[in-house]
Amino acid sequence: MAEPLRIPVKVLILGVGNPILSDDGVGIHVARELKKRKMPGVDVDELAASGLELLDVVRGYDKVVIIDAIQTTKGTPGELHILEEKDFERSIHGSSPHGINIATALALGRKLVPNEMPKEVVFFAVEAEDLVNVSEKLTPKVAKALPRIVEQVERELS
Amino acid sequence: MAGPIINDTTTKTKERKITIDPITRLEGHGKIEIFLDAAGNVENAYLQVPELRGFERFCIGRHVMELPVLTNRLCGVCPAAHHLASTKALDAVFSATPTPTAIKLRELFYMGQYTHSHIAHFYALAAPDFVLGPSAPSMKRNVLGVVDAVGVPIGAEVIKHRSYGQKVQEIVGGRATHPVFGLPGGVSKQISEEERVQMETMAKSCVEFGKFTIKLFHDIVLANKDYMNLVLNQDAYYLNSYYMGMVDKNNKSNFYDGDIRVVDQQGKEFLRFKPSEYLDVIAEHVEPWTYMKMPYLKKVGWKGFVTGPESGIYRVGPLGRINVCNGYTTPLAQKEYEFLAKTVKELGVTGPVNQTLAYHWARVIELQHATERMLEIASDKSITSDDIRGPYKEPKEGVGIVEAPRGTLIHHYASDKNGLCTKINMVVATTNNYAAINTSVKQAAKALIKNGEVSQGLLNKVEMAFRCYDPCNSCGTHSLNGGPALEVTVRRKDGSVQTTQRNF
Repeated sequence: MAEPLRIPVKVLILGVGNPILSDDGVGIHVARELKKRKMPGVDVDELAASGLELLDVVRGYDKVVIIDAIQTTKGTPGELHILEEKDFERSIHGSSPHGINIATALALGRKLVPNEMPKEVVFFAVEAEDLVNVSEKLTPKVAKALPRIVEQVERELS
Repeated sequence: MAGPIINDTTTKTKERKITIDPITRLEGHGKIEIFLDAAGNVENAYLQVPELRGFERFCIGRHVMELPVLTNRLCGVCPAAHHLASTKALDAVFSATPTPTAIKLRELFYMGQYTHSHIAHFYALAAPDFVLGPSAPSMKRNVLGVVDAVGVPIGAEVIKHRSYGQKVQEIVGGRATHPVFGLPGGVSKQISEEERVQMETMAKSCVEFGKFTIKLFHDIVLANKDYMNLVLNQDAYYLNSYYMGMVDKNNKSNFYDGDIRVVDQQGKEFLRFKPSEYLDVIAEHVEPWTYMKMPYLKKVGWKGFVTGPESGIYRVGPLGRINVCNGYTTPLAQKEYEFLAKTVKELGVTGPVNQTLAYHWARVIELQHATERMLEIASDKSITSDDIRGPYKEPKEGVGIVEAPRGTLIHHYASDKNGLCTKINMVVATTNNYAAINTSVKQAAKALIKNGEVSQGLLNKVEMAFRCYDPCNSCGTHSLNGGPALEVTVRRKDGSVQTTQRNF
């Protein structure tokens, strides 16, 4: 059977995260803000899972902007890191207890369905403070940074 | 292609503590700590897992109708299982009886979940060990290495059929990942004939892919003597635990509904209970070094991390289910079940299959069953009926249980007369398995690490003892950090780090 057809749309903004897990949901919060702006030629979607499911979502787009939470050793909450796919090369690694990560999923897609994969994937990674407490709210520092992050993603696409 | 690399060279460590630390938040962060004695043999081993905090508090006071949507946020991998356990709990809370169409749609949806979940585990997480070998270099021992070894066409079939499972879930459940269709007494969404036909077509293809997967399992695992030696290594991968899982009235395996059956070390029925009786069966043990509780059989009692008739530790998931049932309602899964039974009998096994690594075999049999059952339901033209919602009454208290891909999943809610949640208790699959997983990890570490001799391959073989359970530890977080990496830290006696070995 043929793969399900997707109407070609150039750009996808993809918010990744869990909206009931504090700052883990920051990507979802940003995506929801951007959706309100109704940018022409841009789809906005949310993805709560990661791994192989990502492949179903990104296929068929020219460019994908992934917005997600991150925790780095020296980061301050709300700080924005703009990353490219190659920055995650070191994250493609061995057998795991459970699931595969975004970098591995993208690399797998490039191997298996190279023609359907986006030419460019940009990551907007927002430094998170809390990734363990169940809450629909962002922590104050991350919430404060939200408008600036939304603007920066918009600028990236203009 | 070269054969899988089963063994590698060990080096001697003088350290007393070895840490296997998958530094990930992606799908649950777990850490194995192995403590050596003065002679370099394993004294003890622990699996530590984190838990999300405050979920119960988050739910209390909300309307219980919100819970199927909230609880499925606990997991990015098996939200469908949470959604259905929650919906079934609401059936009980509202004394609601789902219509026949609603039951079929829920089960069809669930077979989509099983299909993509079991495909992902077998091909992305288990196959690297089987195809490339447990001691293959870690940079190669991943799903990309598997594709390099088996070829792009097979890899493309894997992601295609994983997507089909997801698509069935999306068509019936309303959303690809976090479904919204479960209601007490039924479902919210009718499906069209066009959607039914689309699902039937995908299901047919999935059944063929299930057959292919079983053959592949025979070719790469059963036909490989070295693997079979690992599988049959009773020192490292063998627990004579109790087993738990859901069965229908004929004791055939059922993932969606039925009684919960527990069998003993002889394979005899030890207990059989309804969802509402779970608190009479299960008690919880607490250890000081972990937040996660360890359920055990109340009637038997807690005896520590040991198995046998005197210890209440039980196992759930594919191996649990295959040991509590007497087969499957679908022909291809039944055929493979009979082949498994014959094979283990010839190996001298009587009673349950206690070989921990047999989880993988049980999982591919279940994949076949899920695809066959998906086709059965998708071929039934009556599922497009609009009779999707049954009557319901005033809310009170109720329990819902399904078999999640990883094992028995229990949701228990109480509601006030306005439908606001006053109590919530959940026992998830990996929690049910937690005591057994710890016992398996300790057993494998003791058997495999001797005289301080360690290697990456050996530590991966320890990890195999818990990976086969497909553990899912508070996997509700999905930040970009790390990914499921593996870090091994060798510490001096004073706790300082001497060397660190990473697979990323």
